Amino acid sequence: MNKNKKPEPKPLFLERMNKLLEGKDFEEYLEILKKEPVRSIRCNTNKISPKDLKERLEAKGWIINNPFKNNPDVMIVEGKSEENNSKDLDPGELGRSLEHVLGYYYIQELSSMLPIIALNPKEGETVLDLCASPGSKTTQIASYTKNNGTIIANEVSIGRIKILASNLERCGVSSAMITKQDGAVLCKRLKEQGIRFDKILVDAPCSGEGTLRSSPKTYKMWNIKTVKNLPKIQLRLFKNAFEVLKEGGEIVYSTCTHAPEENEGIVNSILKELGDEIEIEKINLPIKCRQGIQEWQEEEYKEETKYSCRIYPHDANTEGFFIAKFRKVKK
Amino acid sequence: MKQKYIPLRILNEEERKNILKNLKEQFGINEIPGILLARGRERLFLFCGSLTGKEIKYIEKDNPVERVGVYFAKIVIDNGEEKIRPSIEGTQILRDQITKNVYTLNDEQAEEWMKGREIQVRTGMRGFIAIKHGKDFLGCGKASEDKITNFIPKNRRVKEKAQ
Repeated sequence: MNKNKKPEPKPLFLERMNKLLEGKDFEEYLEILKKEPVRSIRCNTNKISPKDLKERLEAKGWIINNPFKNNPDVMIVEGKSEENNSKDLDPGELGRSLEHVLGYYYIQELSSMLPIIALNPKEGETVLDLCASPGSKTTQIASYTKNNGTIIANEVSIGRIKILASNLERCGVSSAMITKQDGAVLCKRLKEQGIRFDKILVDAPCSGEGTLRSSPKTYKMWNIKTVKNLPKIQLRLFKNAFEVLKEGGEIVYSTCTHAPEENEGIVNSILKELGDEIEIEKINLPIKCRQGIQEWQEEEYKEETKYSCRIYPHDANTEGFFIAKFRKVKK
Repeated sequence: MKQKYIPLRILNEEERKNILKNLKEQFGINEIPGILLARGRERLFLFCGSLTGKEIKYIEKDNPVERVGVYFAKIVIDNGEEKIRPSIEGTQILRDQITKNVYTLNDEQAEEWMKGREIQVRTGMRGFIAIKHGKDFLGCGKASEDKITNFIPKNRRVKEKAQ
């Protein structure tokens, strides 16, 4: 058996994706899955300015581009120049550089940066990152808040918490407290203690359909049972997180999957169950994203679910993501 | 086996003073920005967030806390004396205050240093020194007569290129 052969997507997965994306759209989606994702990094502005980082990396011969005009911290490493030609970076070169080891940048997929761009945490705010490992978004929060404020970064898995701690360490995140707890239980306890947050990120555990380009093992792991079981966990996490959000505070729900059950299905339940306590907000993202869908498999969703964002890999050459942002209504 | 939970300890004013005194003597530090915490006897953490020490302990009362802030420094006994050895993050946080016992590496030495190797050099200094390369602070080493001993932890070393 050829071990290097990319696993094939399962027929049911393809059937479902073909319902979300039809015709040429679906073909383009399948086509981009065959391509490696772009190499993107995020400058850790707590340690170095984007300008200085760019200069240092360019001095190594790396070709750096800024894809988002208003986010100079976001960079794409196109390759490296060599005697008037450009060539690809060596495998692992991005993670082996001194700048990476010193925490001057974080290797992060473009679409994974979007939930924090949407949440827009600011200096002095108290932020909860409920499912924080491996720490890409926590370090992004620390960067945006300039290590001024407090982040509670939670992770339930013992194995993954080590990775989280190590990444926060490397990026010099000095304003975070790392907790090891089931997310819903943590929120219940914080609620009892009277702790409240200005902003919350629920980057929920999901079936990972959006990560197929960088993690082809997802093809093998994908199964419909997971897609059907996860929404219970995702909704429980969100509802408990909402309990510790300040009035007027904002909360982002995100996943790296396309499955509507885990995305608009959750948004729909949130809007139905939390009623006039919550409002969904429009999001402005620096890349093309599509509105949330209104119905799936005979279930109709509330109209406001359209304010959620679907990010498909072939729209902006990224991985796939889903983002929805809400505000807790002031009573 | 489940690891025993070691509670965080927020350093009291006297302990903090002693650490600052030590850092002042060795590196010229005048201020530690934030709350100092310890877990166990040696490892010191620095928290620069908005929570007070009381609030940190209050949250910890009901929730298992893995870490607060960054690993800042280690307390080490050197020739029978207690010394403070700042970590890479420690030297980066204190960078604007470090005024003495700094050794600047050249490009070649910096590459070796970040691979975790000791540097064969006569610095004319003794004891713990801050290591610098260009604008980067690269943690601390221990200077003896003809070398600098390296303390870069494995997970912070620049990995060799795979052959």
